[in-house]
Amino acid sequence: MSKKETIQKWTTGAGSWANVPWSVFSRYSSALLLLLVFCTVTVVGLFAIRDLRRADLEEQNMFTRSVLSLHRIAALQYQTQETRRSTLYALSTADSNLHVKYADQSREADHLVSEGIAAYLANARTPNEIDIGRRLQRDWSAYLSVRDEVLASILEGSTKEAVDLDLTGGVQSFDRVRHDLAEIERVYDQQASQQLASVDAISRRTILRVAGVLAITLAATIASVWAIQRSRMSGAIQLAKLQMEFVASVSHELRTPLAVISSAADNIADGVVKGKDELRKYGAAIQNQSRQMTELIDQILLFAATRNQRNHFVMRALPVSEILHSALQQTSGLAKASGFCVELEIAPGLPLIRGDASALVRCLQNMIVNAVKYSGKSRWIGVRAFLSDTELHGQREIQIAVRDRGMGIARLELPRIFEPFYRSPAVVAEQIHGTGLGLSLSKSIAEAMGGRLTAVSELGAGSVFTLHLPVVEDFQTNTDEHL
Amino acid sequence: MRLSCCLCILVALALLPGVLPRGTLESAAYPPEEKPGERNLAIVVNLNNPVENLSTPELRRIFLGERGHWPNPYGRRITLVMLEPGWPERAAVLSIIYQMSETEFNNHFLHGLFTGEVFVSPKTLASPEGVRKFIFNVPGAIGYLRESDVDKTVKVIRIDERLPDDKGYKFHVPLR
Repeated sequence: MSKKETIQKWTTGAGSWANVPWSVFSRYSSALLLLLVFCTVTVVGLFAIRDLRRADLEEQNMFTRSVLSLHRIAALQYQTQETRRSTLYALSTADSNLHVKYADQSREADHLVSEGIAAYLANARTPNEIDIGRRLQRDWSAYLSVRDEVLASILEGSTKEAVDLDLTGGVQSFDRVRHDLAEIERVYDQQASQQLASVDAISRRTILRVAGVLAITLAATIASVWAIQRSRMSGAIQLAKLQMEFVASVSHELRTPLAVISSAADNIADGVVKGKDELRKYGAAIQNQSRQMTELIDQILLFAATRNQRNHFVMRALPVSEILHSALQQTSGLAKASGFCVELEIAPGLPLIRGDASALVRCLQNMIVNAVKYSGKSRWIGVRAFLSDTELHGQREIQIAVRDRGMGIARLELPRIFEPFYRSPAVVAEQIHGTGLGLSLSKSIAEAMGGRLTAVSELGAGSVFTLHLPVVEDFQTNTDEHL
Repeated sequence: MRLSCCLCILVALALLPGVLPRGTLESAAYPPEEKPGERNLAIVVNLNNPVENLSTPELRRIFLGERGHWPNPYGRRITLVMLEPGWPERAAVLSIIYQMSETEFNNHFLHGLFTGEVFVSPKTLASPEGVRKFIFNVPGAIGYLRESDVDKTVKVIRIDERLPDDKGYKFHVPLR
């Protein structure tokens, strides 16, 4: 890819990100910082939400486990007691039918206990839980064998034998079962305490994270506000600097013709000037300098009017050649005086454009004057008007390009040359006088006419400034539009 | 006259359940729907009891309370289980095994327990289900059930080498 193509791409906005100058980032630093803050806070916030949800789930699980465990142990305790209670109830009656009923109840309860122990063993996770579960299973079986003998004795009618059996074996084995159940309860308590500690730790961590998020958000907001303020202040300082430079420049531009006018007037007043020819010469000099001052003041006023949007343009259909010739005529004196060759090329049969004639002439005049000012040693300017293939807002467009072979504009400078009061350091160093308003004014005029102004340049090779104007498709020539 | 006849019939119907055995009344009230084994009376013992067969005289001695324990090595105390009076199964047992009436049966045990000739007093239960559960819970228990009331919680023993379904089995109950 050639250097020119690269420049062309950059000016048409197709350059790669690597080519984007740092100034663009610095211009949008506040927005980028806010975006960064938003992303950071979002990411950290998501982490905090995830933590909160995890803590919540842990709490729910812990609650469910605790409730289930409590329910399980309560059911086991109740059913073991029920097994024994029903057996003892059977001792209190001599009715065989009631004996059978209590025996049945005792067996139903012991069946539920056996199921409960099996469920406990199935859910047991730690070796300790498994040990206790197995011990409970053994002790429960031992008690049941005694219980069966006691029941048999009761049903046989041997109450004394049943009581003896229960006292010698039943009570002890049932105590062992109760002890096992108490141990299971203690294990559940321990587990609940551990889970509570874990949830507490997660909760504390979440609080810290949320606090972190808030701190980051606060810090980032402060940084953003600071950056925005700094950016605004920097902009204000820059504007003030530009305005100071503008005042200095305008003063300088005014002082030179004023000095000429003043010295010419002094000479005339002091009688130094003699003869009609000399007087005419002095008069012409005063006239010339006065015209330059008037033009400068007009430009400043026009710029001010454009900025305040108080401009009243008289819009009408215009032939391109008319405004081009007018602009060239206005600048012909300057071009001739500087020894420039202006090459004009107007494509035949161009359609009309819509705009304010004087404003467009002023716009083109600025472009031509710039070409003269920044051409350096080259004494050639090309002006070309043609119908473009591209469209502007869905309309065909006419392009008027003013080309020079002068010093060109650095790539980094290109985005800034249309800013009001901006003057390139290279131009200042070359001591080329100007206000920094010409291009800004031309751009404003182009946009007010529904067009645009673009620039393509290569350092040391020259620049092309192009005015894009929409074509009048069905414009009533006699109708004037006032904006 | 017609009114007094109707009253007499109503009174007779009201007194009928007290006069007739329960099974007979039910049999009379509902048409019999005989299930397999409905009429066979099975002699049942606890599942742990190793005894598989008893002769009719041995069975009679046990039911009369003349034997206190099962033979060794099992050696558990024998507990005799009877259904309450009114059950056809009880009537059949009294008729076939005891060959006694209800009164003679009661007198036999009163006298035997008093003189010490009888070691076992029978336990009386209200239903076949109670009998089944009793036998399940008591290792030395023996009782009787219709074959259709037998389940896996009790064990049916042979009498004279015959099971209830075998040909020549002697213990039967009238239909319910």
